[in-house]
Amino acid sequence: MPLDLDPAIIGQEFDRTVEGPVTAEELVAFARALGESRPEYTEPGPGLVAHPTYCVRFRGGRFYPESLVKLIDVRRGFDAGKDIRLGEPIRPGDTIEVRSTLHEVYEKTGRTGSMYFVVIRFTLVNQRGDVVAVVDNRFMHR
Amino acid sequence: MAPRLPFDDVQEGDELAVRSLFLAKDQVRAYARASGQWSARFTDDDGARREGLPGMITPGNMSMGLLASFLEDWAGPGTLRRLGTTFRGLVLPDRTIRLCAAVTEKHDTTRSIELDVWLEGDEGERWVLGTATLALA
Repeated sequence: MPLDLDPAIIGQEFDRTVEGPVTAEELVAFARALGESRPEYTEPGPGLVAHPTYCVRFRGGRFYPESLVKLIDVRRGFDAGKDIRLGEPIRPGDTIEVRSTLHEVYEKTGRTGSMYFVVIRFTLVNQRGDVVAVVDNRFMHR
Repeated sequence: MAPRLPFDDVQEGDELAVRSLFLAKDQVRAYARASGQWSARFTDDDGARREGLPGMITPGNMSMGLLASFLEDWAGPGTLRRLGTTFRGLVLPDRTIRLCAAVTEKHDTTRSIELDVWLEGDEGERWVLGTATLALA
């Protein structure tokens, strides 16, 4: 296991935080910043839903589990990519519970030495219990 | 809601019309503000240089957002089911970028399609690579 991590830590939930409620103004500002003008994403009212990538705003209360923070300098990481799987749309008034788990840790060796990749999975659930998105955040550390 | 693209109108190998757009620094700042990512690396050239960057950069999340909008402009709002990306290079604002995608697979049972997607610079250098799943009509 990279970094001599205890394998039991993989898959463990290390944070659960409720964020929101989401406002129409936030949804519209986010969509417009991406150049959106479609009414589904930019016109307040009963038909307004979040842009599909709005879910990346939610990061919970702690980004990494404590046991990992002790082993790597989290401030020097780079965002290596994301994988988003979408569920129910996010709507104004929703509160979003962010359930954070350490999903995967792996090592790659390149020309400049070893790199560690840490994948944090955020499962986002609204106040009705519907999953709105599962977001895997992949960070690279040297 | 606008109609979804019919599944039968799409073939494996189809390429979406490339979208070129000028990515202004003010748009990146607006995104940083709206997404809760207001930090020097995304908003200020001098602050970004102090972090060792060549200047302010575009958040990877914004690149994903632009790709998502590009796909849904083609297929209709609400069609995106999955988007996975790898951030391979720094996307610097104040330049023209190109959003690209091609259909790689069709699934008859779910009426969904798989695509390769990427964001590239003017000279074809691919800074963001990924795959997507869309659910069609």
